[in-house]
Amino acid sequence: MSADMPTARRGAFSGMSNESFLTLFMIGVLVVLFAIACVFVPNFYLLQNVVNLVTNFWFVIILGIGVTFLLITGNFDMSVGGVVALTGVLSVWFCQGYHVSQNALANGLGLPYGVAVGLALLGALGIGAINAFFVARLKVPSIIVTLGTMMVARGIAQVVTQGAQRNTSLPDVFGVVGNTFVPGTSVKIAVLIMVGLVVAAFVVEKMTVAGRRTYLIGANAVAARLSGIKVARHLALLFMLSSLLAGVTGILLASEFKAGLSGRATGYEFDALVIALLGGVSIAGGFGSVLGMFVGAIILAVVTSSATGLLLSPDWQFTLKGIVTFVAILAQRLALDKRKG
Amino acid sequence: MNQTGNVLEIRDLVKDFPAVRAVNNVSFDVKRNTIHCLVGENGAGKSTLIKVLTGAMPRSSGTILLDGQEYSPHSPRDAKEAGISTLFQELNVVDQLTVAENLTLGMEDTRFGFLRKTDKISAMVAVMNSLEPSIQPKMLVSRLSVAQKQIVEIAKAVATESEIIIMDEPTAALSEGEIARLFKIVKGLRDNDVTVIYISHRLDEIFELGDYVTVMRDGRHIGTKPVSEVGDRSELIKMMIGKTVFEQYTPRRDACQDTILECRGLSNHKLHDVSFDVHEGEIVGFYGLVGAGKTELARAIYGVDPYEGEITFKGRRLPPSPDKSIQAGIALVPEERRSQGLFTILTVRGNVPVMNMKKISRNGFVNAARERRVTLEYIDKLRISTSSTEKEAAKLSGGNQQKVVFSKCLFADADLLMLDEPTRGIDVGAKSEIYGIVRGLSEEGKSIMIFSSELPEIMNICDTIFLLFDGRLKATLRNGCDIDNEKILHIVTGGEVT
Repeated sequence: MSADMPTARRGAFSGMSNESFLTLFMIGVLVVLFAIACVFVPNFYLLQNVVNLVTNFWFVIILGIGVTFLLITGNFDMSVGGVVALTGVLSVWFCQGYHVSQNALANGLGLPYGVAVGLALLGALGIGAINAFFVARLKVPSIIVTLGTMMVARGIAQVVTQGAQRNTSLPDVFGVVGNTFVPGTSVKIAVLIMVGLVVAAFVVEKMTVAGRRTYLIGANAVAARLSGIKVARHLALLFMLSSLLAGVTGILLASEFKAGLSGRATGYEFDALVIALLGGVSIAGGFGSVLGMFVGAIILAVVTSSATGLLLSPDWQFTLKGIVTFVAILAQRLALDKRKG
Repeated sequence: MNQTGNVLEIRDLVKDFPAVRAVNNVSFDVKRNTIHCLVGENGAGKSTLIKVLTGAMPRSSGTILLDGQEYSPHSPRDAKEAGISTLFQELNVVDQLTVAENLTLGMEDTRFGFLRKTDKISAMVAVMNSLEPSIQPKMLVSRLSVAQKQIVEIAKAVATESEIIIMDEPTAALSEGEIARLFKIVKGLRDNDVTVIYISHRLDEIFELGDYVTVMRDGRHIGTKPVSEVGDRSELIKMMIGKTVFEQYTPRRDACQDTILECRGLSNHKLHDVSFDVHEGEIVGFYGLVGAGKTELARAIYGVDPYEGEITFKGRRLPPSPDKSIQAGIALVPEERRSQGLFTILTVRGNVPVMNMKKISRNGFVNAARERRVTLEYIDKLRISTSSTEKEAAKLSGGNQQKVVFSKCLFADADLLMLDEPTRGIDVGAKSEIYGIVRGLSEEGKSIMIFSSELPEIMNICDTIFLLFDGRLKATLRNGCDIDNEKILHIVTGGEVT
C-alpha cells in the first residue's frame, strides 16, 4: 500500500473509524429489528410508540452514560442500580415529616425538599468515593469493588425502609419533578434531562481533553501514566460522576412514584451494561461511545416492547433479552472482524 | 552410558528471523558431565540458541545430536522428555502451590482425573532435601526466596533424570551467600552425571565454575575452550567484542557547560548511590548489561518508581511523578514500546499529541484541526510511514511505532529526553534515522540521556558514557578520547575499575 493513497477509494466505509462503522452497523441492526417488529406487532410503527421506545427507557440511558465512560477506561460500575435505590430512599426519608405518626416508616427527618435532595446526592457521591478509593487508589479490580458497593448501597436502602418502602407523609413538592411534562406532550422532564445529559456526554467524549484521556487510559493505562496523565484522579472523577448520575436517576424515580423503594432499579446495572455492549463498547477498554450506547438502549427497548406487544409472557422476556444480546454482539464481532480483514 | 565424549553436538545451526540471522552457522560440542559456560554480549544469540535447544523455537537449519542421536524438540516438553531441563531467569514455579505440588507439576499421577499420592513425590522430596534440607515439601512456594525457588526447580530437573540442565543467568538475583551455595550445588550436579550449560554475564563466575567456555558474538560461534586454557578476563572480553569499529562519532566542538540535571545519591531497590550531572545540549549514554539498573534509573528520575536521594532539574528539586516531570520539561521514551509507550488501539492522531494536550486545546476543548495539523507535521518531520493520521498505531511497523512514541515526547517540548533502549527491535534503516533525530535535537540544545545495552549505539552518539553494574555507577568516560572497548566490557561485567 502506498503511503499517500486516498483512503476513500477503498470502499464506502473504509474512511470511517471503527467506532463510527460500528455505530452505523448497530443503527442498521436497529432498523431491521424495528421493521420486523412493525410487521408482527400491531400499531408498532405509530409515532407515539416510537416516542415511547425512547422515553420509557430514560433511566437506564442515564445510568448508561457513567457505565459507558468507565467501560471505555476498562472499568465496570455495577453499583449504579444500588445507588438509584439508595438515593431514592434517602431523599424520601430526609423529606418525610418529623414525628408525625406512630408508624416508624412514616417518620422522616422533616427537611426541606432541596436539602433532602442535596443530602441524598451526597450519599450517592459517597458510594462513588468508595469505588474511586478502592479502584483508583488501592488498585482493586473494579468489578469486585462495585459489586460490593452495589450491595452496600442497596443494603442501606433496605435498612432505612425496613426492607419495604417509604411513601407517606411527603410534601406535595416531592412529586413535582418526576411528574411534570413538557407542555403539550407526554414527555416527562426526566426524559428531557436524559437527552440533555446524553448530548453533554457526547460533547465531553468527542471534543474535550477529558474525553481523550478517558480513551487513553482504557487503551493503555501504563502508557497513559508515563505520558503524564493523572490516571488515578481521572478514574476517581469518573466513578464519582457515574454515582452522581445514578443519584439523579434515583431522585427522579422517587419523585415520579412519590415513594422510596429498597428494591428499586434491581438489575438496572446489568441493563446499563447490556446497552453499552450492544452499542459496541469494548470491555477491554479504549473503544466505544455514548452514541453507540444510546442506539443499544433503543435496540433493547424495541425488543422488550415488541415482546410485550406480542403478548409474550413477561416470564419469557429475560430469555429474549439474553438471546438478542448474544446475537447482536456476535454480529458486531463478525462485522468488525470482516472489516479488519 | 559412556562417561566421556560429547553429550551434545551442535552443527551448522542457523536461526533466521525476519531481517536478521540471530544464530549464524554455530557449531560446537558440549562434553559430558562438565560445566559449560556460554558468554556473549546482549544480542550475541545466546538466548535464541537456548530457545532452539529447549524446543521453544524451531531452528531454520542445522543439526543437533543429543547422545549421538538426532534431536529436534517441538516443544519444551519434548526437550524435557529427551533429558534437557532449563532454569530460566523468570522461574517457572507457581507461587500459590506448595513445594511438593510444584515438584510434580505437569507430571501428576492421576486416576480418572483425580490426583493420586504416589512415591514419586517422596522420591522428589528426597532429591530436593539432598540439595537443601531446609525446604519443607508442605511450604508454600510464595514464601521461599529466589534462591530456594531455584533449588526447587533444580530438584525437579534432577529428579526427572535430566542429562543436561541449562541455567540462564541464575545468579542475577542472588546474594553472595546464596551464590556460593548455588555454585556448590552446580558442582555437585556435575559430579553426579549431569551436564550444566551455564549462561552468565559475570565473567568471574566463569573462571570459578566453568570447565569449558563458548563465546558467541553477533550470532556466530567465536570459540570454545577449556576454561583452564583461557588466560584471563581480557582474553574473554576480546573474544566477545572482536574488532568493532566506531567511526561515526564525531566529538562536539564546544564543551557543554550549564548543568541541566543533577542527581545525587539515588538509591532504591535496584540503585545504589548513583550521582551524576547532565549538561545542556549533551548526549549522555548509560551502558550496562541486562539487570545493571538502566531502566530503574530512568524510571526513578522520571518519578515512576520511588527513590531516596536528590534530583535537581534546571536548578529546582524535581517532584517524583511523571506528570510533574513532563511539566518541568522531561520526557521519557520507555523501554517497552508497545506496552508502555504506545496506545496501539488508537490512531496515529490519537497518539502524537497526548503528552501536551494543552497545546491542542483551549479551555479543555480539543481543537480538532490543530490536532490533525500537529499529527501531520510530525508524520512529515520524522518521516513516519503511514497511510493517514487515522491509521491504527498497531498496524505500523516497529520503527514507525517508535517514531510515533518519539513524536509524543518531542511534542511535549521537553528540554531533556530520556530514551530507554530507543532502537530495540527496529531495523537498521529506522535505527540510523533515529540516531539522526537524536543528533538533531542535541544541536537544537536539548539534552539527551540514552539508556542502552548496545555498546555500538552508545559509542555512536553519546558525548559522555556512564557505565553501570549492579545498580552502581562504576565509571564515567568522555567519548572520543578515553574509550577502550575492552575496559568498558571489563567494567560492566563486574571487573574492578582501575
